[in-house]
Amino acid sequence: MLRRLRAADGRLLLLILALLFMGTLTLYSAGRGTSQSNLWMKQTAWNAAGLLLMTLMASVDPTRLFRKSLLIYAVGILSLVAVLLIGHRIGGAKRWLAIGSQTFQPSELMKWVTLLFVAHRLGTRPMDRVEGRDLLGAAAIVVFPMLLVLKQPDLGMALSFTPILLLLPLMKGLRKRTLALMLVMLPVIGVVAWKKVLRPYQKDRVRIFLDPERDPQGKGYQITQSRIAIGAGGILGKGFTGGSQTQLNYLPVKTTDFVFAVWAEERGFLGVLIALGLYGALLLRLLEGARAAKTLAESYYCTGAAGIFAMHIFVNVGMVAGALPNKGIALPFFSYGGSSTLSVFLALGVVMGALHRARIR
Amino acid sequence: MDARSRHLLSRRIGVVQVLVLAGLAFLVCFYGWLQIVRHGEFEKQALSQAVKERALPAPRGIIFDRNGDPLADNRRALHLVIQREDLPADPTVVTDLATALGLDPAETARKIRSFRQAPKGRPLVLMENLDEGGIALAERVRARYPFLSVQVAPRRVYLGDDLAGHVMGYVSEVDDQMMAKDPGRYQLGEIVGRAGYEDSGDAKLKGVDGEKRVLVDQLGREVASLDRTDPKPGKSLYLTLDAGLQRTAKDAFGDEKGAAVVLDLRDGGVLAMYSSPGYDPNLFLDRLSQEMVDRYLRNPVRPMLNRATQGIYAPGSTWKLLMALAGLEHHVITPHTVFYCGGHKSFYGHDFRCDATHGSLDLIGAIAKSCDIYFYEVASRLDIDQIYETAAKYGLTVPTGIDLPSERASRVPSREWKRRVKKEKWYAGETISVGIGQGAVGLTPLAIARFYALLATQGKEFTPHLFFGFQDPKTGQREPEPAPPTRQVDTANPEWWGVLHEGMAHVVESGTAATNPFVRQVAKEVPFSGKTGTSQVTTFVDKAHYAQLAKHLKDNSLFAGYAPTDKPQIAFAVVVENAGFGSEAAAPIAAKLIQYWFVDRIKHPLPPPGGRVPDAFHLEPGEED
Repeated sequence: MLRRLRAADGRLLLLILALLFMGTLTLYSAGRGTSQSNLWMKQTAWNAAGLLLMTLMASVDPTRLFRKSLLIYAVGILSLVAVLLIGHRIGGAKRWLAIGSQTFQPSELMKWVTLLFVAHRLGTRPMDRVEGRDLLGAAAIVVFPMLLVLKQPDLGMALSFTPILLLLPLMKGLRKRTLALMLVMLPVIGVVAWKKVLRPYQKDRVRIFLDPERDPQGKGYQITQSRIAIGAGGILGKGFTGGSQTQLNYLPVKTTDFVFAVWAEERGFLGVLIALGLYGALLLRLLEGARAAKTLAESYYCTGAAGIFAMHIFVNVGMVAGALPNKGIALPFFSYGGSSTLSVFLALGVVMGALHRARIR
Repeated sequence: MDARSRHLLSRRIGVVQVLVLAGLAFLVCFYGWLQIVRHGEFEKQALSQAVKERALPAPRGIIFDRNGDPLADNRRALHLVIQREDLPADPTVVTDLATALGLDPAETARKIRSFRQAPKGRPLVLMENLDEGGIALAERVRARYPFLSVQVAPRRVYLGDDLAGHVMGYVSEVDDQMMAKDPGRYQLGEIVGRAGYEDSGDAKLKGVDGEKRVLVDQLGREVASLDRTDPKPGKSLYLTLDAGLQRTAKDAFGDEKGAAVVLDLRDGGVLAMYSSPGYDPNLFLDRLSQEMVDRYLRNPVRPMLNRATQGIYAPGSTWKLLMALAGLEHHVITPHTVFYCGGHKSFYGHDFRCDATHGSLDLIGAIAKSCDIYFYEVASRLDIDQIYETAAKYGLTVPTGIDLPSERASRVPSREWKRRVKKEKWYAGETISVGIGQGAVGLTPLAIARFYALLATQGKEFTPHLFFGFQDPKTGQREPEPAPPTRQVDTANPEWWGVLHEGMAHVVESGTAATNPFVRQVAKEVPFSGKTGTSQVTTFVDKAHYAQLAKHLKDNSLFAGYAPTDKPQIAFAVVVENAGFGSEAAAPIAAKLIQYWFVDRIKHPLPPPGGRVPDAFHLEPGEED
């Protein structure tokens, strides 16, 4: 057992523990005086379970996982189909599977499973022999579960699958022509998405993002209040449990999507710098792993993981400040949630496995 | 992994690294812009939505009677309120809310609309004075509409119930009419005196509202108190009224209509003032129900009218003392002038009758027996303007100036008055009826009492008043205030007072009042003087109403005088509507008042008003509500 624990990457672990400490304090403060006052304890339990899973996973040879990735992917797809058929509905969206009294959100894990499978498929070929056919196949592997998730509907989650697609130009490199084509296609995709894919409430979110103060008591309320919380935090912040926006409940969904605003209000710009610095260090460590990885598949996996994490961090932290549209997407180590916590630690465990095999310190 | 792949990967991961760092840099800049550049602006927004001002209503001063027994006090009441910033705008919310509370939706919507201009801090009161059921209902509805809150506020309680309704008056929320009449004086939602002494003493009784700043959460609930300015309670004060004497007057009237006033001859203080039927001011604190409006405001009997200060009655024979003074002052009679009463006599072609055939009478006999013919003779020798001049000299042509709102002036006719009001000239024949207090003469019971106080004190004209002084509600320490000044009215010959006094003493001893056994019995113990009066019902309420109301149109019964005869201490006037002779109804009530004041008050004083002690509302600094 001890030997297994030693497989965990020390630097990554330290970064994770620091972020968890900050996240737990924030969750305690956010839930204080409400019906969610013991949420931080629940989250701590999830975190503990997650850390254990991660260290166990770190000692597993990723190659063994890659070999079974098709099977895991197939089970994942089945679980997403099951969500659409017999899923648990909360607030107009079917995203959860109920096992006893516990609900589980398969899509949280599915993005990592998809990453695993795509990394495995592409990793079997040397880089200079990757062909367009392979890329199309990989894209299909990513887009299929994305469509299932969109059907739930869960745009935020679907969005967090997109960094996997980032792997494709990584394989093939980007020519200037392709880049130009993408720039042309982007508005076209945007218009099609606006007209056909986005649901009215999702369109509202985009409109509010463009002008949050237009309807401050209605749909823009969340962003307006979140920006007040962040701005009022100033440079040094209001101190632990000292923020009026959080403690007086002006801040909405403050234990999940908007939890970072609590941190920003209490710890100010300095706290934001520290948090973003830690996240940055974590992302760089993942990319370091990608560079040093023993196999292509492991490298792809590490890069994709960095992409997915970055997506979560940028979208959530940006959304909370009103720099990006209001999208329900969890912030790793801060937001409350069982499924996302366990998924994140499992994914990090795989990365740690790759780091261990690469023997970098 | 082959070397070429590793090389390609490393380059491309480098691009990803740059993208990640650029993204982080963007976020840092964006947060820096919000948290450093725009910090002040957001800080202000956070404060303005979390910190609210709340008014702390000041309790009004307590009103005591002259013995220190409370007549009007305060107790805690709970109101269901909405803070101004939380007023719902959505009409369906307003309708649902009103329905849930059992209120009229249209009226509630109107109230909410009109309250939007209200000053900061003062809440809109949706339901007043919640009882236990009301609190339970409010809590239930609050679960759905969390912007509702329950406010603790002081509320008036009148301990004597209907003991002195007209004197006390009542308080309630200022209404649109008052706001329009005196813009800038009131604030919407303010509680003000609306009648009686609560109105005229409003400035003394009203405190200064305090204010507190509180932290409110997103649902508008108060979470913490930041700082507060305590309300300054209004000044407590005591009145000249004696609750026991007042109770005696109320009990003496029973179901009869009318009014009684008793004045203190030392300073003109009002010892008792009762108007019958009375009303209970406790019923007027809240918005009036239709039933209340019909019962009190639309009632032809007009129970809200203070008959003592606003009822104009023909004074009947109680006026004869003024006629005697008019005759003496204008030298048409002397104290010894004798006229012959043959039961009737003709003046200006009309036959005028007397109640009896009195034969030859001097002034004293004429007063004692209340001979009409004698005073017709006096009147026939006077001009109406000479009578008016004497009435003016003795203060009967102006309001008494009592510290109660809406006092009516008595009506004494003159040539000018008739020209102005009736657009006609005065006929000499009309003067004859005025001689016995009929015709156009109309006095308030208070004016009659003040005139008899003047007779008793040989010319002292008092300003009747209720305010006595300030009283500390906790220590009972009193600071009397000087009574309003009195004026000495001098007659040409001071001996005349003696003649008038002798006449009034005879009235009780052996004259018109002596026919009543109870009056005789009281007079044996406390000799008193006075004058009976029996007057035809005149213009006090229009005759059409009266015809519907009263099955038989009996005369008004009056008695006015002073006691004790030797060294007078009190003066009084009693009017009983439609009760017949003065000696039958009014004199016994006066006798009861005298008996209480000079005998029973010392031996068996009546218990204090109500006898119940309210849980008084004395706001302590720092007390949380």
